[in-house]
Amino acid sequence: MLATVVEWGDLLRVIWSSTLVGIGVTCAFAFGVLGATRATDLQRDGRVGEAAIYGVVAVVALVVFAGTVVVGIIVMTSK
Amino acid sequence: MSGDVIVVIVVATALAFDFTNGFHDTANVVATSISTRAMAPRIAVGFAAVLNFAGAFISLEVAATVASGIVDEQAVTPLVVFGGLIGAIAWNLATWYFGLPSSSSHALIGGVVGATLVAQGPDAVIFGEGVVGKVLVPALVAPPLAFLVAGAGILLTYRIAGGSRPGPTARGFRLGQLVSGGLLALAHGTNDAQKTMGVMTLALVANGTLAAGSNPPDWVVVTAATAIALGTYVGGWRIIKTMGSRIHKMDAAQGFAAQGAGAAVILAASHGGFPLSTTHVISGGVIGSGAAKRLSAVRWGVAGNIIVAWLVTLPAAAVIGAFTYGVTRVFGTGATGPVVVSVLILGGAAVLFARRAARGPAVTAAAGG
Repeated sequence: MLATVVEWGDLLRVIWSSTLVGIGVTCAFAFGVLGATRATDLQRDGRVGEAAIYGVVAVVALVVFAGTVVVGIIVMTSK
Repeated sequence: MSGDVIVVIVVATALAFDFTNGFHDTANVVATSISTRAMAPRIAVGFAAVLNFAGAFISLEVAATVASGIVDEQAVTPLVVFGGLIGAIAWNLATWYFGLPSSSSHALIGGVVGATLVAQGPDAVIFGEGVVGKVLVPALVAPPLAFLVAGAGILLTYRIAGGSRPGPTARGFRLGQLVSGGLLALAHGTNDAQKTMGVMTLALVANGTLAAGSNPPDWVVVTAATAIALGTYVGGWRIIKTMGSRIHKMDAAQGFAAQGAGAAVILAASHGGFPLSTTHVISGGVIGSGAAKRLSAVRWGVAGNIIVAWLVTLPAAAVIGAFTYGVTRVFGTGATGPVVVSVLILGGAAVLFARRAARGPAVTAAAGG
C-alpha cells in the first residue's frame, strides 16, 4: 500500500537535499566563525599574512551561507 | 441568515485557531534563540511575530491545503470546519497547558478528519494518498531526518570551530541564530497562516459567499496574518521553556545547528510538496544537536513525552473534532450549536489561562540574559 500512496522519489530527494543543505550551511557558517575569530586573533599578534588567509576563509564561508539563505527565501516565495 | 451567522462564527474560530497556532508554535522559532541568549525573550518573540506576519504575505496561492487531498471537499460544510477547528484549538490548549510542543497542523488535520468521519462517514476521508501519503509518512520521516542533520551538523561544527576562543565563537553563532531563527519564522508564517486562510476560504466557499476555486480575499489574508503574529507575540512561554531548556541545555552552536537543520528540512520538504510540521522538525533538530554531543545530555523522559504528544495529536484532535460536530448537530444545523460550543470552549480556555497565570511566568526576562 505504501508503495502506491507515497511519492518515494520526491521523498528521497527531500532527504538528500535537506541533509546536504542542512549540514552544508552549518559547516559553512562554522568556517565563517572560525575564519573571523582566527583572523582577529592573528592580526592582533601581527601575523598579517595568516590573518588575511583566515579573513578570506571567513568571507567565502559567509557568502556561501548568505547565498543559501537567499535560495531558501526564493524557494519559499516560489511555492 | 443562519448560514451567515455560522460562517461568522467559523471565521472567528479560525482566527482563534490561528492565534493559538502562533503562541503554541512560537517555541519552534525562538526557544533556542532565547535559551542560548542570542536574543532577549520579548525581543525574540517580537522578531518572530514580525516575520510570521511578513511570511503570511509571501505566498498567496489558494491555501485550502488542509482539507484538499485529505477529505472530500464536497463533503466539507461550515459545521465540519467548525468541528475541526475546535478539535485543533482544544488540543493546542491542552498541550500548551502541559508545556508540550505538538503540531498545530496535525491537530487541524485530525480535527477536520474526525468531524468529516462523523458527518459523512469514512468514504469522505482520503486515507491512502491523503492521510497516509501526505501526513503520516512525512511525519515519520521528518523528525529523525532533522535529528540526524542537526547531529551531524553539530559534530562537524565542533570539529571545525571547536578550537577557537569560546567567547567570540559563541557570539558568532548567536549572530547566526538571528538568521536561522528568522528563516524559520518566515517559513512558519508562510506555511501555517496559509492553512488558516485556506480553512476560512473553504468555509466561505461552502456557504456560497465565494465561488469554488476562489483565492482568499484580502481581508482573510490580513486578518490571518495579524492573528498568527499576535499569537506569536503573546508567546507560548511554557513550550518555549520545554524546547529551550528542558530537553537539554544548549550552547549557541547547538542552537544554530538545530535551527539550520530545521530550516533546511522544512524548505526542502516544502519544495518537494510535503507539508511538514515545523514543531516536529525543530524538536528533532533540538534533540539531535544534544544527543550528538552527549547522549546523556538529553532528558529522554521529556523527549519521550514530546514524541507521545506527536503520536496522540492526530487521533486526539480527531476525537474532539468528531465530538464537537456531534454536539453542534444536537442543536440542529443552525447557529445555536456553534454558539453553545464557542461559549464552552471560551470558558474552558479562560479557566486554563487563569490557572496558568496564577502560577507565574514560565520564562522570565532573566532567561534571556
